[in-house]
Amino acid sequence: MSSNQAPDTRSSIAIRILTPDNCKIFTGVFSLLHAYVEGDDIGLYRGIYAVMAFPVSAPDHYISLRYMDTSGVEHELGVIIDPKVFPQDAQGLLRESLARHYFENQIVRIYGVEWKYGLLFFDVETAQGRKQFQMRWQVDRAQDYGEHSKVLLDVLDNRFIIPDLRDLPRQDRERLTRYIYW
Amino acid sequence: MDTQPIILASTPDVPPLIRDRMKAANVDGQPVLLAVEGDLNEHGQLTPVWLIVMPDRVVSVPAAQADPIIGPFTFGQTEEFRLRGTVGSSSLQAMVDGLHIDLIRFTNTHRERFQRVLTQLKLLKENQALQPQPLTDPDPRFCQTCGLILPSPNSPCPRCVKQGAILRRTLRMLRGSILWVLVLVGLMVAGIGLDLLPPFLMRILVDDVLTSKKHTNWLLWLVLGLAGASLLRAAVNILIGRLSTFIGTRITYDVRRQLFDKLQQMSVDYYDRMEVGRLMTRCLSDVDQLQGFVNQAAQGFLINILLIVSIGGMMFSLNPRLAVYVLIPIPFVIGGTVFFWKRIYPKYFKLSDSQSKLTSALNSILSGIRLVKAFAQEEREARRFTHHNEYARDARRRVEMSAGTFSPLMAFVFGLGGLIIWYVGGRDVLGNKISLGTLMMFLGYLGMFYGPLSNLTQLSNWLTSFMTSSQRVFEILDTDPGLHDNPKAVKMPALRGEIEFDHIVFGYDPYNAVIKDVSFTIEAGRMIGIVGRSGSGKSTLINLLCRFYDVQEGAVRIDGVDVRNIRREDLHRHIGLVLQEPFLFRASVAENIAYGKPDATFEEIMNAAKAANAHDFIMRLPAGYDTRLGERGAGLSGGERQRVSIARALLCNPAILILDEATSSVDTESEQQIQEALTVLCKGRTTIAIAHRLSTLRGADCIYVIDNGRLAEFGSHTELMRQEGIYHRLVQIQTQLASLETQ
Repeated sequence: MSSNQAPDTRSSIAIRILTPDNCKIFTGVFSLLHAYVEGDDIGLYRGIYAVMAFPVSAPDHYISLRYMDTSGVEHELGVIIDPKVFPQDAQGLLRESLARHYFENQIVRIYGVEWKYGLLFFDVETAQGRKQFQMRWQVDRAQDYGEHSKVLLDVLDNRFIIPDLRDLPRQDRERLTRYIYW
Repeated sequence: MDTQPIILASTPDVPPLIRDRMKAANVDGQPVLLAVEGDLNEHGQLTPVWLIVMPDRVVSVPAAQADPIIGPFTFGQTEEFRLRGTVGSSSLQAMVDGLHIDLIRFTNTHRERFQRVLTQLKLLKENQALQPQPLTDPDPRFCQTCGLILPSPNSPCPRCVKQGAILRRTLRMLRGSILWVLVLVGLMVAGIGLDLLPPFLMRILVDDVLTSKKHTNWLLWLVLGLAGASLLRAAVNILIGRLSTFIGTRITYDVRRQLFDKLQQMSVDYYDRMEVGRLMTRCLSDVDQLQGFVNQAAQGFLINILLIVSIGGMMFSLNPRLAVYVLIPIPFVIGGTVFFWKRIYPKYFKLSDSQSKLTSALNSILSGIRLVKAFAQEEREARRFTHHNEYARDARRRVEMSAGTFSPLMAFVFGLGGLIIWYVGGRDVLGNKISLGTLMMFLGYLGMFYGPLSNLTQLSNWLTSFMTSSQRVFEILDTDPGLHDNPKAVKMPALRGEIEFDHIVFGYDPYNAVIKDVSFTIEAGRMIGIVGRSGSGKSTLINLLCRFYDVQEGAVRIDGVDVRNIRREDLHRHIGLVLQEPFLFRASVAENIAYGKPDATFEEIMNAAKAANAHDFIMRLPAGYDTRLGERGAGLSGGERQRVSIARALLCNPAILILDEATSSVDTESEQQIQEALTVLCKGRTTIAIAHRLSTLRGADCIYVIDNGRLAEFGSHTELMRQEGIYHRLVQIQTQLASLETQ
């Protein structure tokens, strides 16, 4: 059994699919996520993390397990198509790992949008409570995130997601689209 | 002696709760040097977490009891500290036993704070003392007075720049045209006087000529008077229009020139931060707003204010009671105009967006029509087009329907005032309280009253838009150009060409180093190669050598002098650049070759072209060296463009020559011709060649392999092949690819 201190230089031409049969997920030293992959040159991968391949269209599927070698280069162990086929504890570990990788404020109400000094001043209700933030009024700071979603990037690059514009009350939607019209 | 810890947090000190947790966990044995508050726990919940730095260790202590303490880790056991950006947040990590451990996680709000902490942790790890100053320096991204995020670091704050100051600064621009401005104001006053005259003449016409028939012989003179007033008004309007355009264009010309001069001084880093499109907007449409200011002042709001005051004054002096009735529709006029700007005007944004999306969809479909047909995707593209077409249709409908409803309603409101005056004034005429002529005069003034009032309600919008544009223009004019010449920078009329990269660290994003502690020296006159995977940092080294950016740590030296201490003019004169995508200007071939030496003789230009293997193809062009090239050298093949750029570099006779993927984007035959040209070019100069095609570097004195921002290997081709490392692997891959191509 070896560890992932050296970069994995295997040449691979296809995505490796990880299943409960070929991959065991568990916590190891320093409470970091580890994985043991059957039939692999490296075998034990320490300090891995999970990333969603399709965070908008399939957030619950296609989870890529990755690690970073000592020189800071990222590698992929493989992809889990459906985490639900893994044991409960492994599913929990994957969820925790994803929670460590993503932090997005989910907007549920928009109380005010004001344009001043080239900035949009937002007053919103998020899943974490009421927040005020500022974003530059530029196309690249409010991007489509799936068909009916938008992600707003504030001046400090914090992410504010509107999961579905159609779910916002009409007044809130009007407040938003008065400025974010694209 | 205990020193006070540095606290970077929302509280002045480490909270007792955190100290208690440290004590309970027995990790409080040492004095605290630095305590920093983060705002996320490892599960992504917003809760305070503290990073406590002690003389030989670091520990992370969450405020929530349920969250575990992470660490402590001593500086001795920690191999590396670094920041890792994830989606919407970041972590400060410690590498222990080859594993990256999240010490503390935080939202991007605190990224700058932890970037500074990272620098200090690296110092402590190297047994150096903590530096309080860089930790507590104000954040240059924010206004130090009001806290607003600035358009770019250290730029003027749009909130704190007083609006009056902007207006005064704009008015100062008029100083050069002050005489013309006074003439303009005089014309405006005269114009208003002429506007007030016709209703007055009409009253005499109605009362003294048409109704009482007392002075029937005045008819002709009064009509001639009306015609004269009308003619004079037209003449004044023409003069006002021409004069305001003259003054406005004069200002925009001056400002645009100042802006361009300033943009030329800006560092490359500035252009990385600013989109070229935005800068163009500032140079073009924002500057046009200044012309709009003069036009608006002359023909818009200023004239409207004067009209309202003078007409209102006339009406109240004629008949105060009737004048009060005129005021009844005013709230509707103001309300309607505010409604327009708040509710209808934003719909125009959407219309503009829909049209640009439709244009861009159509453009991409038609320009990629071969691909569409080859993959039989016509139906899918039709659906895509339909989607955009529907969006454009709906946006247009919304605008037209809103405007179509709004305009008649406003026309009714405007007419309402007239109807009220007809009724009230008509009763007064019937009751012989006022004459018919007075009523007609009143109605004449009324027609001129609501329009300016409606226009004035847009004043704040126009003023805001003008202030914003002016502020954006002034922002560029006031911005620090970024890289400065050191006042004590040395003149270097000649260079030997020895280059030293001394422990340099650099990242375009200061949070992510691209070059990590790279050191090597190139002797004068030698040719070296730099190789590595895409994104490994090869071109960044060149950017630092040319001082397009300044290193964050270490130094780049030429002939022993730090490039930051060499006058940039001298530095750039001694460095010749041949890039992968040669940039040629819309000018003749000769002008392009002589770009760096405009006084070059025809013989020098031809010699340079000959040495660059460019002379023969230039001579085959119908206009030879006088052939005008299109945008970016259109009209020449990729190889030909590259040879022109080599001739350009050759003509400047630089001491240091940089070839950045100079032959990457040309075919094999062109590459051979370019290689021949380069052999001539490299003679007697320090040459740095970055190449993907490793075969082109076989003759290099030394090859440096950059991997992930670090110097991984170096040596001659033979030595590196013997090492069987990254270079060996890259050569093998290219050899395999070449044999596949020849099969």
